[in-house]
Amino acid sequence: MDVDFDVIVVGAGVAGCVAAHQLATAGRSVLLVERGAQVGDKALSGGVLYCRVMEQIFPGFLERAPVERAITRNCLSFMNSDSFVNIDYADDRLGAPVNAVSVLRAKLDAWLGEQCEAAGAMVMPGVLVDRLLLEGGRVLGVGAGEDELRCHVVVAADGVNSFVARDAGLRDPDPPRHLALGVKSVIALDRSTIEARFNLPAAGGAGGLAEGAAYAVVGDCTKGVGGGGFMYTNLESVSIGLVLRLDDLARSGETASDLHDRFLDHRRVAPFLEGGELLEYGAHLVAEGGAAMVRGLVAPGLVLVGEAAGLALNTGLTVRGMDLAAGSALAAAKCVDAALAAGDCSAAGLASYEAALRASFVGRDIETYRRAPAFLEGTRMFNDYGPLLADVFHGVYNLDLSPRRRLVKTARAAVKASPVRLVDLARDAWAAMRAL
Amino acid sequence: MRTIVVYKWARAAASAVVRQGGQVDWGGARLAAGEDDPAALAVAQALATQSGDVAGLTIGDGETAWALARGADAAHAVPALGPLTDNAATAKALASAVRQIAASQAVDVVVIGDATADPGVAAALAAELGWPALLGVTSAAPAGDRVTAARRVGNAIETVSLPTPAVLAVAAVGEEARAPGMMELIKARKKPVAQLTVEAPAEGVSQRATRLPAAAGARLFEGDADTAAQALVAALRGDGLL
Repeated sequence: MDVDFDVIVVGAGVAGCVAAHQLATAGRSVLLVERGAQVGDKALSGGVLYCRVMEQIFPGFLERAPVERAITRNCLSFMNSDSFVNIDYADDRLGAPVNAVSVLRAKLDAWLGEQCEAAGAMVMPGVLVDRLLLEGGRVLGVGAGEDELRCHVVVAADGVNSFVARDAGLRDPDPPRHLALGVKSVIALDRSTIEARFNLPAAGGAGGLAEGAAYAVVGDCTKGVGGGGFMYTNLESVSIGLVLRLDDLARSGETASDLHDRFLDHRRVAPFLEGGELLEYGAHLVAEGGAAMVRGLVAPGLVLVGEAAGLALNTGLTVRGMDLAAGSALAAAKCVDAALAAGDCSAAGLASYEAALRASFVGRDIETYRRAPAFLEGTRMFNDYGPLLADVFHGVYNLDLSPRRRLVKTARAAVKASPVRLVDLARDAWAAMRAL
Repeated sequence: MRTIVVYKWARAAASAVVRQGGQVDWGGARLAAGEDDPAALAVAQALATQSGDVAGLTIGDGETAWALARGADAAHAVPALGPLTDNAATAKALASAVRQIAASQAVDVVVIGDATADPGVAAALAAELGWPALLGVTSAAPAGDRVTAARRVGNAIETVSLPTPAVLAVAAVGEEARAPGMMELIKARKKPVAQLTVEAPAEGVSQRATRLPAAAGARLFEGDADTAAQALVAALRGDGLL
């Protein structure tokens, strides 16, 4: 078959850039197409990147790439209307080696695009691929307006709403309960203010990187809507927002923007942001279905990577997407390269990708946390456990001259006073152990 | 006419943030083709329609083939120059590059976008070259060895005849009429872009302070319609407007 490129990668996010970089490095002719006017233009602000996989792909990643802060402090927060219970975990070991960093995607993706060009890929921003070229179920290339380009393999890295995957018949629209709306603000604050408010050491102890914090918040921040809040520090800004399960959001009648504003105005959150200046505000659809969203990764002449493949993981403690995107792209690139070498880019020729993905950290983690979405759908997590925990601690710390009770009795009294029954507690603890 | 169109010479204005104090925060804004660049290229092509050619000139890295994908005959890039914050330094660097191009073949007109975010560059470029400049141009055509250019002045169209060589700063009046397709972009990427070396000029002009434009105060009249209307009328009377 006469082709213009060996591989065309659609979408220049983390997954697309890693796939293009790896295939170009392997000597394949690669076109990386991006709809944004520049690589990084369409990415919404950033996130916490679990970056060990990036070190494998780009040696010296932490020294070379535009990362913001090494995350050495993690907080799991149960937020109630008038209380805030935190499990606050800071550890020097998280800085040696650094495995999690905050990133701003406009900067990171632009850098990734440069690595692709340096590796020999042709990076073409400003082009909206609007169709697949199909013949007898075989993907032959892509179309954009009047133009068509042919290739041996298309790598779809066009995000959670992947039209490429739908065009190929690999993915039906996902049900709303598998999707969530992320709504986020980026608030500018000066560096020393961030370090003081988030209790971060000023001197970089994490391989020379500035240290940062990440909060995962459940409870009243979503006003009972399935999902949670997040807050993490960049070098000179704080990213904060909510992830709201679409079905629950629609059922609640709330608006994402109102819930977002309410979260930021909470009296335990507002002081983190006081005096800050809004730099960016936006919303983005995210995959939340976990293992249930990963299906049909390969068609003749086509592989899916990153969120286009349904790869995202919310465990309640960590929210992961970028590392899974990179890991899937790494696995896909190896298999596509092997298929090209064998001259067989049929579904059978590309099928090794599914097995490679399952065997990689991506597939294993998706499998490990396959029960997490169902566990996190439980309403007690959002409505009841925060107040219950606050009541337990209130019983411990509120020394009002009444006779003290042992902790177990205090906790039992708090459970008795809450809508959570002991049997619920046992059931949820069991479910948490199985899911997380 | 031999025309040079300057493109992707300014930072992407969309990446700039105006902070509360009025200062413009460019953050990590990269060089990008601006909204006036397609209009500048269209004028350059109009000048070269009957005879001559259009050569592109850009600075920095990124999409150097932008003009080639849109029909320019050749392109020159000064890749080592990053975004310059000083309009005078940008103009000095561009003038140096124009002189290098003109050393091998005379240049009749340099066309550049009349970017509102970098208003000093076009005039400073003309000053550096010692050529006449016309700003706010919307169209131009060759007229013998002169250029006839039009620009909007209020509700009128002013037509100006300039001797060459000259610098024209073109202001866009609309969106790019037609963006190049995928094939045009790929073909452009395969064409050579001549690399120039220009010493980065010292940035001598610095912005020391900014201030926000005076904002008109807003008053909100709350309550039901009658109450709000009465309060509005009272306020207007109080201000002597009724």
